[in-house]
Amino acid sequence: MSSKPYIFRIASLILCVSLGLMLFRGIAALPVTEKVTGPASHYLARTAGETGARNVVGAILFDYRAFDTLGESTVIFTAVCGIAMLFSRRKFHRSSRGLSFIAKRGIGIMVPFLLMYASVIILFGHLSPGGGFQGGTIFATVTVLLCVVFGSSFESQYFPPRTKDILESGGALLFSGIGLIGLAAGTGFLSNIAAGFPAGTFGSFLSAGSVPILNVAVGMKVGAGLSTIFYSMIKMLDAGHDHREGGGIE
Amino acid sequence: MTGNLPFLAVGIIFFMGMYAILFERNLIKIAIGITLLEASANLFLIVLGYRTGGSIPVFTLAGEVRSMVLPTPQALTLTAIVIGLATSALLLSLIMLLYRHYGTLDVREIRRLRG
Repeated sequence: MSSKPYIFRIASLILCVSLGLMLFRGIAALPVTEKVTGPASHYLARTAGETGARNVVGAILFDYRAFDTLGESTVIFTAVCGIAMLFSRRKFHRSSRGLSFIAKRGIGIMVPFLLMYASVIILFGHLSPGGGFQGGTIFATVTVLLCVVFGSSFESQYFPPRTKDILESGGALLFSGIGLIGLAAGTGFLSNIAAGFPAGTFGSFLSAGSVPILNVAVGMKVGAGLSTIFYSMIKMLDAGHDHREGGGIE
Repeated sequence: MTGNLPFLAVGIIFFMGMYAILFERNLIKIAIGITLLEASANLFLIVLGYRTGGSIPVFTLAGEVRSMVLPTPQALTLTAIVIGLATSALLLSLIMLLYRHYGTLDVREIRRLRG
C-alpha cells in the first residue's frame, strides 16, 4: 500500500486533537454556577401551578413542548415504517423453537411483573421520574423477551403485528385528538390547563390535566413501534437461517 | 463538585466514535461509532444542564430542595435517546440488507463490487 492512508490517518488525528483542545478551552471558560437562568427558571418556579405535574421533565415534554414531542414521535413512526417496509417482502418465515424449558418458565413468571412495572412508569409519569417514552420501551422489552425465549411465531401469535399497528396509530390519533381539543377550546394546539383539562390536586394520581393521557399515547406509540422494529428484524434473521440450512445463497 | 471530568468523558466518547467512523471498515463498527457519537451528544447536553448541588427536577415527597438542575436538556435528551434507538435500528436493518446482498460488511469490498 502507498503512504496515502497513513498521511490521511495522521491528518485526521491532528484535526481531532485540535478540535478537542478548542472544545476543552471553551468548556473550561464556562463559569461554574448554581444559578438557574433562562426558561428553566420559569419552568422550575411555575410548573406546579401551571400544569399541576410533579415531574418537571414530564411537564415540559407533554405540556410546554408537547408539539415538539409530537414531532419526535413522528420520527419514530417514520423509522418504524421504513424498517417494516424494508423487510416486508420476506414471506418465508419459520420461527425458532426458542430456548430451554427453564428459560421459558422463568420468563413466564417475570412477564406479569414487567408489564406492571411498565404500566406504573407510564401512568405515574407526571408524579415520578418516568413517562411514556421510558414505559413504552419497557413494554417493547417484554415482547423482545418473548421473541427471544419462545420464538417469534409465539410472539406474533400473542401480539399480532396488526394489533401493534392499531396501537401505534391509536397512540398518534390520541395525541393529535388531545391537541385538537385545545384547538377547539380556542387556546391553541395541545394546550393543557388553559383548554379546560382539570388540574386536580397537586401530587395526586388524577392531576396535571392532559399530561397522563399524553403519556399513555406516547407509551402506546413507542412500545408498539419498537416492538414492530424488533419483530421485523428478527423475522428476517429467522428467514436467513432457513436459507442457510437449505444451502442456498441469495 | 464534579469539575470538568464529565466534559472529558464526553470528549473521550466522542473521539472513540469519530475514530470508529473514520477508520473502521466494518459497517457494524461504523454503526457502533455513530451510536457512540449520539451518546456523547446526549451526555454533553445533560452535563451542560447540571447545576452544582442541584437535585432531580421532580417535586418528590422528600420535601423542599434547595435547587434543581435544568429540566429542559433532560426532556430533550429523553426523546433523543428513543429517536437514536429507532434510527440505529434503521441503520442496522440497512446493514443487514447490505450483508445479504454483498455477503460482506467491508465498505471497500462493497464499493468495489458495486463499481
